[in-house]
Formats: sequence, structure tokens, C-alpha cells
Amino acid sequence: MKIFIIQIIISTVVLAQSVDFNSPENIKLFADYLFCDHDYLRAIDEYEKYLNFFDNDTIRFKIALAFSLMDEHTNALKNFNKLSEASQLYQLSQIEELKSFFKLKLFPQLSSKVSEIHNLKSEYSLSADKILSISYLLNNYSIPAEKLFLAPFNDQEKPIVQNFYLRKTNPDYKSEILAGVYSAIIPGLGKIYTENYSDGITAFLITGIFSYLAYTNFEHRHLTRAWIFTVAGAGFYAGNIYGSVASAQIFNVKINFDFINDVNSFIEAKNYFIPEYDFCK
Amino acid sequence: MIINKLKLLLLIFLFSIIAHSQTDWVRWEKSDPDYKIPSETIKRQYDLSIQSIGDVVLKPVINAYWFFISDVDGDNCPFYPSCSSFLFTSIKQTNIFQGTLMFFDRFTRDTNIFERSSHYPFYGKHHFYDPVYLYTLDEDLIKIIPAGTQVKKIK
Repeated sequence: MKIFIIQIIISTVVLAQSVDFNSPENIKLFADYLFCDHDYLRAIDEYEKYLNFFDNDTIRFKIALAFSLMDEHTNALKNFNKLSEASQLYQLSQIEELKSFFKLKLFPQLSSKVSEIHNLKSEYSLSADKILSISYLLNNYSIPAEKLFLAPFNDQEKPIVQNFYLRKTNPDYKSEILAGVYSAIIPGLGKIYTENYSDGITAFLITGIFSYLAYTNFEHRHLTRAWIFTVAGAGFYAGNIYGSVASAQIFNVKINFDFINDVNSFIEAKNYFIPEYDFCK
Repeated sequence: MIINKLKLLLLIFLFSIIAHSQTDWVRWEKSDPDYKIPSETIKRQYDLSIQSIGDVVLKPVINAYWFFISDVDGDNCPFYPSCSSFLFTSIKQTNIFQGTLMFFDRFTRDTNIFERSSHYPFYGKHHFYDPVYLYTLDEDLIKIIPAGTQVKKIK
């Protein structure tokens, strides 16, 4: 029995030393596993170890893609640039660079990259045009005409993108001056105009109550109280006008905020018009 | 022989579990629990240093309000910062006239008897987040935080 146990232990120890975990094949296997497990930082380290043995464009692409998936787009761009033009993944790397430029809000560079992609006669030219069109929604450069803007999109995408185009060219802003004027005429109306209904009604009630109290106290010759209520009422009236102007401003900023969020959600859902990869299938 | 060895092993095993299960070697003492809800508002700045003309009137009035009324009344404002802190901060960031208008507007919103949770983000467990920078009429300062979002506490 003792000899049997010793034999098992010795054979286990002997066999344990025969697997070379630092071989290039095993490094690549481990790196692929980490990549598919979304552990991109460690996957990058392992892929870089592999590159010390063999120069491989797919591995370089995966390193750059891992940086992009971690939202480190500056590093992603550096690594995508390292791919050679002869590589099979070169055209894909160009479109991934577009995504990085978009995320970094480098719109002039995005525009010149689209021109490069067209010059290459890439199969991803249409995707590049779509990203360029969407980028016009998020920058302050002049947006092209509607027909030209919508041209790259298919029938499913056109209604959504057209809606974005209309929201960009004709945003549903509220006039701050008009909000102030409305509140000056009827307290609280400016806030109702900017869709703050409850605040508008409250402003109307408060100003109304203090005005009524001031009036009745003046009528009954309680001058001290009357003046206190007058000052308070005047303060709330002026504050309501100010608040309506501020409310209109906040409303307009919120319109822009919601628009940018909606556009980003749309392009994220479309994966930046980049085809899905089969590295992990 | 084997049965005796097993009994010995079991005894050693039980002894080690019992020895390690008692982790609190400190004698229990009477504690004084504090049931007060911790205040989530920033600490009061009671200094009377004069940095502008407005401070001559503003600081004594606000300090007196905080000391005699607000600290006695407790943390009752539904907003963060509280209305008095809002007045203080708005006058510091703008001027006494604009700050006063901002305060009257804030007070109107404070007395709003209707639903507020659909308009404001949350600060801590009991307050709505309504900072001064939204109302200074400077568009560049406005940062939209969606309603219902939990805002991190400012230390």
C-alpha cells in the first residue's frame, strides 16, 4: 500500500514538469482565453509576450482591439497604425480607427480617415460614410444637406437618422426671453411653458397669496404688515421671472444632453457599423 | 488501535475548532448608542470674515439664522444644499441682487407641494440635489444629471 502511494506521488511529480506553460502556443491559448473572458489588460500582456516569438498581424489587431474595448482609444490608435497595408485585417483596422476618432471626438481626423478609406476602395466605405454622417450630429461643423446626409443609410436606419437630423437642425428649444415675459404677465406661466408644471403652479400660488395678503393689509390699514407682504410678494414675483429664464436655459441644455445620449446609444447599438468579429466563436 | 487513533484525531479536530471559534477576546462593556440620524448637510461656516460689501449684511444674518433657528430645527430642507446655504453660495458666486432672486426662486421650488422626484437627482437618502451652478444663467456651467440618479456625497 505504501509503495503504491509513493509510486503515485512520484509519477505525478514527474508528469507535472512536462507541460511548458511558457511556450508560444500556450501563451497564445491563454491570451485568447483572457480576451474572450473580457480580461483585456492581461490579454494584452500575454499577446505582447507572444509577439516576442512571432510577428503576427492578427495578434497586433487583437491588442489594438483590446485597447479599444477598454476605451483606451489613444493606445488603440497607436496599435492599429502598426498594422501593415498588406495585412488581411488592414481595412478593418482603418474602420476601427474611425471608431476611436469618433470616441475621442477628433472629427477633422475622422473626416480625413474616411477619405483615405475611400481611396483604398475598401469594402467598409459605406460604414465609414455612416460614421461620418453620424459625427456631423455631434460636432459644431456645418451639417450637409439632408439628402446627402441620409444617403449611406438603409431603409431601416433612415427614419431614425432622419429624426436625429431634424433634431439637430431644428432643436425644440424654448426661448428664455419668452419664458421671462410669460412669467412677468402671469406668475408661473414661464415655468409651465418650459414644462415645469408643478413649479409654475407653486409660483403662481405663492405670488398670488402674498399679493392678496399685501392688498388686504393695505385695505385694513395694517401698513407694517402690508409692506412686509409687499416686499415678499415682489421678491417672489421677481424670483419667479428669474427662475423661468433659468428654467428655459436648463431645458435647452437638457435637449442637447438627451440628443447626444440618443445618438450615442444608436451608434453603440449598431456597433459603429463595424461587423462582429468571430475571435471567440 | 485504529479506533483509538480516530478518536484522538476527532478530539484534536474538535479542540482546534473550539479554540478558533472564540475570536472576541475583549471583555464586553456597556456602550452608549447614538440614535441621531447623521446630518448630511455640509458643516456650517460660522466665520465672520468680510470679503466683500455684501458679507457685512449677509454673514451676520445667515449665521444668526443657522445658530438660532436652523440648527435647533434640524436638517429639514428637502434639498441639498439647504436654502440658507443656497442663498449664501449664490451671493458668493454672483452678486447680492442675483443671489437674492435665485433664493426666491429656490424657495418657491422648496414649497412645491407636488411630485419632485421626477425632476431632481438624489443626494444621500433624504435630499434632492439642486446645486447653485444650474441657476447662474451661465450655460457653460450647467451639467445635467438625470432625475432619479444618486449623486455622490461631497466631502
